[in-house]
Amino acid sequence: MIEDRQILRDIWDGRIPVCFTLSQDEYTSPDQPDVYYLLVPRLSYFPIVSDKVVRFFSQYVQPDTQGEMWLEFQGQPLKWHYPIGVLYDLYAADQDQLPWNVIVHFQKFPESELLRCGSRDAVESHFIATVKEADALKHRGVVMSGMQKRDHKQLWSGLRDDKFEEFWTINRRLMEQTVENQFRSIPFRIYQIEQPLIQKLFQPLHEDGKPATLKELLEQMLPSVLTPQPNNGGSRVLIQGIEPPLETPLVWLSEYMSHPDNFLHICITSRSLP
Amino acid sequence: MTAMRRYLAVMADTDDGDASSNPKADEETKSEETEEVSVTVDAEKRLEPPTVVEAQPTTQQQSKISILMKAAGDAPILKVRKWAVDPDRTLSTVIDKLNKILKTAEGESVFVYVNQSFAPSPDHKLGTLQQCFGSDGKLVLHYCKSQAWG
Repeated sequence: MIEDRQILRDIWDGRIPVCFTLSQDEYTSPDQPDVYYLLVPRLSYFPIVSDKVVRFFSQYVQPDTQGEMWLEFQGQPLKWHYPIGVLYDLYAADQDQLPWNVIVHFQKFPESELLRCGSRDAVESHFIATVKEADALKHRGVVMSGMQKRDHKQLWSGLRDDKFEEFWTINRRLMEQTVENQFRSIPFRIYQIEQPLIQKLFQPLHEDGKPATLKELLEQMLPSVLTPQPNNGGSRVLIQGIEPPLETPLVWLSEYMSHPDNFLHICITSRSLP
Repeated sequence: MTAMRRYLAVMADTDDGDASSNPKADEETKSEETEEVSVTVDAEKRLEPPTVVEAQPTTQQQSKISILMKAAGDAPILKVRKWAVDPDRTLSTVIDKLNKILKTAEGESVFVYVNQSFAPSPDHKLGTLQQCFGSDGKLVLHYCKSQAWG
């Protein structure tokens, strides 16, 4: 049961300053274009916040070569359908450099690595589908299927317009648990660089009723994370940009630190040696 | 593989005929087909080290999973509805294959649903979907040419 709304609010208010730069070989103007700064919500998706970025850089590129915008960080194309905070934690958090320097491209779309987005409608469809997927794991999908279409719309518009109350009025129902109606399985995804993401079934409670912890999840899914590696500083386990204690019950993390898509996104990165 | 593609293309023609005689396309009116279809898409090949998929059917790590393709809405029923697929392939492999079989025209798209409720992201691995949402080890996917479940 959600008791501490301040935590939800703090998670919601997480922001990342991003500095967008147009790719060097893509501008046709004689002068190098300025960079563009935005303070973006961790919980959002790039296509929701980047309209202004597209408009700003469009003036520097030839219209006939302007394809769909895509973003890159240090050679790594960024997937628009991952939440911004997840992309940052996975690829950039270990460098600890803010603002986050992201390169903007309008050409040579990396078809093999990125899905095309097309429009905001695609983001909405993706978002709602992911919430449904999470609900299928938690409650066999009955909460989402029991909602009205306008409730789904409100989840989306709450996220899109950065309206905490609007979103949580509906999302509360997806997070509710009673003694008889516990989460059947915790919707989680584990990300590592250059590895496919891990998503499996994982029950929040042991048979004796004790809650399973983050550590137990990792032991089962990715035991190497918990063993110290001699050649580097070991692994960092990041959720919403912080390293939660490994003893934290997973169900608590799911309720408080999930993204709006209702998944708990866990990033594993290597700890750089001091 | 080319031979298989041609075979599928031929089947797709017959499927269209089936659809008109089966207005309730969602119903399981056909006997279970056990023929295996190996799903391989050239675009994905480029991303992965070359492996000989068909030559090692008994390798344990590569054991295939089975998916059952069900038509929804007015989509035609496939001749071969049980597909055996590599669990490391993504859903986009299935979507590409369906596009070929159903001869999706430009501007049209194929939608693939799990649990008759959500369309997973095309980069989802089929093995993940089967583990999370399969029953009896089998993953049921519904496909259609229009958005069936918002």
